[in-house]
Amino acid sequence: MALIEMKNITKDYHLGETVVHALRGIDLQIDKKEFVAIWGPSGSGKTTLLNLISALDEPTTGELAIAGKDVRSLTDNQKSEHRNETIGFIFQGFNLVPVLSALENVMLPLQIKGASATEAKKQALSRLKEVGIGDLSHNRPAKMSGGQQQRVSIARALVNNPSLVIADEPTANLDSETAHMIIDLMRELNEKDHITFIFSTHDQRLLDRVKRLVRLEDGKIVNGGAKQ
Amino acid sequence: MMKWIKLAVRNILRNKRRSFVTLLAIGVGYAAISLFYGYMHNVYTGMRYMAIEGEGLGHLRVNKAGWQEKGKLQPEKYMFSKEDTQKIIKLVTEEKDVVLATPQIQVTGIVTNGIASTVFIAQSVVPKDDKIIKGGWASFAPITGQTLSEEKPYGAEVAKDLARYLSFTPGKDGVVMAPTLSGQMNAMDIQVAGVYDSGSDFSNDKFMRFNYYFAQSLLDTQSAERIVVLLKDWQKTQLMRTVLLKKLKAAGIDCEIRTWEELSLSFSKNKAWIDTMFMFLFSIVLVIVVMTTVNTMGMAILERTREIGTLRALGLKRRGVSLLFALEGAFLGFFGSILGIILHTCVWAIIRIYPPQYTPPGVSMSVSLTVDMVPPMLFILLLSLVLLSLFAAIIPARRAARQNIVDSLGHV
Repeated sequence: MALIEMKNITKDYHLGETVVHALRGIDLQIDKKEFVAIWGPSGSGKTTLLNLISALDEPTTGELAIAGKDVRSLTDNQKSEHRNETIGFIFQGFNLVPVLSALENVMLPLQIKGASATEAKKQALSRLKEVGIGDLSHNRPAKMSGGQQQRVSIARALVNNPSLVIADEPTANLDSETAHMIIDLMRELNEKDHITFIFSTHDQRLLDRVKRLVRLEDGKIVNGGAKQ
Repeated sequence: MMKWIKLAVRNILRNKRRSFVTLLAIGVGYAAISLFYGYMHNVYTGMRYMAIEGEGLGHLRVNKAGWQEKGKLQPEKYMFSKEDTQKIIKLVTEEKDVVLATPQIQVTGIVTNGIASTVFIAQSVVPKDDKIIKGGWASFAPITGQTLSEEKPYGAEVAKDLARYLSFTPGKDGVVMAPTLSGQMNAMDIQVAGVYDSGSDFSNDKFMRFNYYFAQSLLDTQSAERIVVLLKDWQKTQLMRTVLLKKLKAAGIDCEIRTWEELSLSFSKNKAWIDTMFMFLFSIVLVIVVMTTVNTMGMAILERTREIGTLRALGLKRRGVSLLFALEGAFLGFFGSILGIILHTCVWAIIRIYPPQYTPPGVSMSVSLTVDMVPPMLFILLLSLVLLSLFAAIIPARRAARQNIVDSLGHV
């Protein structure tokens, strides 16, 4: 069974009286353990597609199943639980909570799930060490570089042992060297822990290193073939 | 829960200036209410002492049924006979919450010094009982000269403006005239024992106090107009009214009992006036606290829209977002109230050390402006403001929780 199954998905936005067709009939299957890049020009629908896959938004029409669950049939609370247990998020702007330390930021998904502080701390610390910033666990985001913040963001995405990690332009705010390190880290986690990674990007450095590329143009998949 | 509390507290400290202004608004509001309440508490205590001890009303007054409506027209019919008076006193003083029960008569008539004359209203009391009723009030408003005593049955205490008008000083003689209960005019000599301040501008020019037995002679009666009851605890006034009314009626005495609150000339009106002022002040502070908290939380939500989106993306449910902001509101209320308690204590201490003097309207003597420290009220007010801030925060918090996650994440 595919991890993600999309059939004839459309997504329309209403801007006043104008209807914007962000996605026009998407058919896509992504299996477990894949390392997939969604790419294409600005406005092609990359972020919209990721929002639908991550259950942050709903399609206008079509069928969408994630890990066998029909996302459209879930209530808001069920979607929250689904995101918390199944999906890890890595954002372009890192989106860390500024008043929390790196460790506390990573603990958040576990604590939302209801884990005890001790258990959450243990697992969060382990993930921080795994992404190479265990010694910065007590620093707040403001005292960290962009690369360090993105590592915290990755640790936060992984701490609940999700089956899927979604990254929206994860290297866009990073310098070349740091971007390479982040890409390597994500590849390593994909190969070692068999976590599925789906990310949107137009960063060529990243595109060169993915297993599969899905190209979007004007809300349609124009190329869904794999690339080594 | 602790993690959300920690997060809420840190978020309050995030924008220190804005939070400080909010806390100051809540704190000043808290202090304004608590200080006014402390002042009100002190005024009510003072007015209660003035009514019970100063005016000599005691806690309860027993009259024959119908006295209030028809007693002035047919006094003899609506007064207690000597036997009934003794019976009532015996029955009432059997109760463990009663300190004493004493007969009294009110007399109205004309008093003269031989040259000038004027009207008077006199309370006639049993001197030894009256001393007990007066209690601490006697030292608060000491009498010039002597108080009434059994040894001097013709002695009279005269209110200060009346004494000034008739040039009465302790030891001076005068004559009082009043109709007996059968309608004959009677006159008796008095000797001024002392001059006192009734505490009210309205009564200082006409009030006198006689010995009870002197008044009975003046009115040519053996009856008592009323029995005044002094209780151990003023808070049992209503309870004891019910108990005594039942007991006296069961004993065949048809009577009516009024409380000091109903009888006091000024207490009820002043209390209603001060209560209205308190409610007005409380309403203003309530609006300020709600508006300030709503504004602060609204700003916080606007600034943290993306953070709300992130938390929702990570799996926090809508009620979790509401809880987070409601907690922040509650903590603003809590810390604001703590600041308010500190402000209250500082002002309270300053007033204790340097009490300002003022003369309340209708009162003949200046008094110290005093604020009572009422810990239960401070706690109730703290709880009220915490709940108020919490509910004020819930409005924007619910709005935050309902925001579209994608829009929140894209907020700049």
